Amino acid sequence: MAFRDLREFLAVLERTGDLIRIKTEVDWDIEAGAISRRVFEEKGPCLWFEKIKDYPEGFTLLNGPLGTWRRVAIALGLDPETPVREIYREYERRVERRIKPRIVDPSEAPCKENILLGEDVDLYILPAPMIHEGDGGRYIGTWDIVICEDPERGWTNWGMYRFMVHNKNFLAGWPQATSHLAMIMKERYLPWNKPMPVALVIGAEPLCHMAATAPVPPGENEAEVAGGLRGEPVDLVKCETCDLFVPAHAEIVIEGEILPDIIVPDGPFGEYPGYRSGTMGEGVAFRVKAITFRNNPILTMTALGVPPDDSSIAASLTAAIAMKKGLQRRGVPVTDVYVPPEGVTHLVIVGVKEGGQKVVRRVLEFFTARRVMVNKVIVVDKDVDVFDMGQVLHAFATKCHPGRGMLVDYHEGRGNALTPCYSAEERRRLKGAFVAFDATWPDDWPQELIPVKASFRDIYSPSIQEKVLSRWSEYGLEKFSSKGGD
Amino acid sequence: MAKEYLTFVRRFSDLNEGERELFIKDLTPGPRKYDTKLVRAIIARSPESLGVDADLLWVRSETGVLDPKPWGIKILEELPPYVSGRPWSDIFEVMKKKVS
Repeated sequence: MAFRDLREFLAVLERTGDLIRIKTEVDWDIEAGAISRRVFEEKGPCLWFEKIKDYPEGFTLLNGPLGTWRRVAIALGLDPETPVREIYREYERRVERRIKPRIVDPSEAPCKENILLGEDVDLYILPAPMIHEGDGGRYIGTWDIVICEDPERGWTNWGMYRFMVHNKNFLAGWPQATSHLAMIMKERYLPWNKPMPVALVIGAEPLCHMAATAPVPPGENEAEVAGGLRGEPVDLVKCETCDLFVPAHAEIVIEGEILPDIIVPDGPFGEYPGYRSGTMGEGVAFRVKAITFRNNPILTMTALGVPPDDSSIAASLTAAIAMKKGLQRRGVPVTDVYVPPEGVTHLVIVGVKEGGQKVVRRVLEFFTARRVMVNKVIVVDKDVDVFDMGQVLHAFATKCHPGRGMLVDYHEGRGNALTPCYSAEERRRLKGAFVAFDATWPDDWPQELIPVKASFRDIYSPSIQEKVLSRWSEYGLEKFSSKGGD
Repeated sequence: MAKEYLTFVRRFSDLNEGERELFIKDLTPGPRKYDTKLVRAIIARSPESLGVDADLLWVRSETGVLDPKPWGIKILEELPPYVSGRPWSDIFEVMKKKVS
């Protein structure tokens, strides 16, 4: 059964030892971010800061709801010890489902317990954290859901984009210029100089946030994807100031509009690739028209940076499965896709049933067809377990020809501005490159000339393997049996 | 006592002395710290050169690196806290054109 809201999820995290409440007063200005970052780097628990400097009791901060595979497993209702591969399988199965949301009356929506409208709007009543020293502002939207609508297609888009407090009733944000939000704004609102209604949701049930990170094709509603992941509908309630619908059990909802003719400075911000690499001053202005929130609101954040954190863990899952499905649609004989958290969705491992440069070329074409968020892919044969980076590295080191094993694509206007190795000029022009490393055997090599992998499984006949494994205990090697026997 | 503000530039060398419009963040401690304003102000590399009533302006680069030595600032006028421009435009370019 799905969690009704963030609070039910936190209760379980507390029981499993995956949440710590910090009761001592913590400063929203840098201190909460620094603690959170250090705990991420120690692969530690979700942190609930219960007493925030300058803010009344009950206004709390929460870092890292999905910052470990254990917490992702718990969010999916699985055993916390579920292996990553099985988490992938379960997510892959559920993400195919679509369950329409249920519309509820405002009286059933906890996010309406407090409503600030018009002149009463004041973002400073919320303890938005200054996460990293040197950031451009207080990022209230890091682990968020940003909702907007394409009125012509009837498409409601959920995405996760950064937004910082500009002043009491303006946010500055940076949904990438190639994002779905940007696509809708540019197609449906900018040509008519119309503001775009937007809702920024903080602290919804965790699978809703996971759905917001999922690369769902344009036109598909993430609310239905979230329902599929949960196995039951997401309760939605109508906004106070526009026709958008938001998760009714969210902790905080900020309603407003992105303006077509006004800008304010956003950034810089220590981002998900693990660097503050200079994306700044090219964002959007979000005028806030209403703030609604639960009693004792919990402001969720993620102190992004060097992996692991919520982004590198949860988003790598959602990205990997979306890529696998996309590659399958293109006819690539894919076995599995793994996005290692350490690769921060810049590096992806693709396993294929049959390799060779034609297949690798199709992999490259998939990753560079539209916006190019990934810049390196290693393609490996089916004998390599994509989840085992030791095997992947071995295949890369030995099978990728240093001259002809790299297929490179250069592009402009579609690159990922958050790629740290791009120059400032390249980032601004969304100019970049993509490389597919072919770590597969060429498809035109005769079978008898393909080097034989000198592994227990590959270089010995089944009869020898069977003989050795059956006598394993006799050799006195029981404690080393896990590798040889699986 | 001098107030302290913060501004961001792409490169430290982008900032020139004299009268200009710029976005600044108010560093006064409390729940409104980092509130952003657009102001017309006189700025100088040396705070002392603006007299005893000058405030301090800290400067960070586009990667958030802090210039260890603050500038001086005298605010002449507070403006509406935004500028005209299309979303995703380079706000520094917009500000430059506004001046010229």
